[in-house]
Amino acid sequence: MFNSLTPIRLPGRDPMKRGLLILVFGLLAATAAYGCIYLACTASARDLQRSDQPELAWLKEEFNLSDAEFKRVSELHAAYLPQCAEMCKQIDAQNLRLKGLLAATNQVTPKVETAIAESSRLRSECQREMLNHFYEVSRTMPPEQGRRYLAWVQDKTFLSDYGMKQ
Amino acid sequence: MKTNEPDSHDDALRRVLKEWRTDATLPPRFQKSVWQRIERTQASAAPSMWGVVAHWIGAILPRPALAAAYVTLLLVIGGTAGWTQAHQTNARVNSELGARYVQQLDPYQAPRP
Repeated sequence: MFNSLTPIRLPGRDPMKRGLLILVFGLLAATAAYGCIYLACTASARDLQRSDQPELAWLKEEFNLSDAEFKRVSELHAAYLPQCAEMCKQIDAQNLRLKGLLAATNQVTPKVETAIAESSRLRSECQREMLNHFYEVSRTMPPEQGRRYLAWVQDKTFLSDYGMKQ
Repeated sequence: MKTNEPDSHDDALRRVLKEWRTDATLPPRFQKSVWQRIERTQASAAPSMWGVVAHWIGAILPRPALAAAYVTLLLVIGGTAGWTQAHQTNARVNSELGARYVQQLDPYQAPRP
């Protein structure tokens, strides 16, 4: 039996070389352990990023959706996107109009008031449509996940501070 | 043993040293060789950094228990670092994908060209 405090004596081997070999082996083992564990633990994240629709794939994983639930959520998502794009156009156009009015005056004119009111109307319409979509999506999920989804998405949209805390 | 009269002890020693006479001659280069021995002793007492590392690699690391402990420790460090880094990467990817999902749905957060 080996005495644990006695160096390993192999005939014809230089102890310094043996020590260096162990040193290098240890470093290689550490690097291999790092790489293997990192790659294994990030495999699902890489799969998400490689999928056709990473955002929806993330939603499926985050809220444990079944394939049928995911299919329905994907359909709702696809149906909502054109509405959202249309709303984006209207908001951009309204913002441009308001910017022009603000650049042309240094007081709150009736036109400016009207433009601000229109911006508010657009925002509330946008929020109503978003909220409808969120409710529809949450109803396709299991109840607990649906509640969690609603809380999360409302926090990120309606209750978002838009960077005001920074 | 501790004496109660250290001064009398020192006095006696001083007296003996004063009376001591020798007619022996010092060997050649005595002083130089004394200094050389002192320098050698000091050099061996304070080994260089490389000396310590070389000693550790050549004499201590090859011990089976230490070698196993060293490799195990590095495996654990590598594995822990990999797990921590993966955890951070997953958190970042999840956060990014969540933000992108919201950006697709919220016109006020959608990135403009």
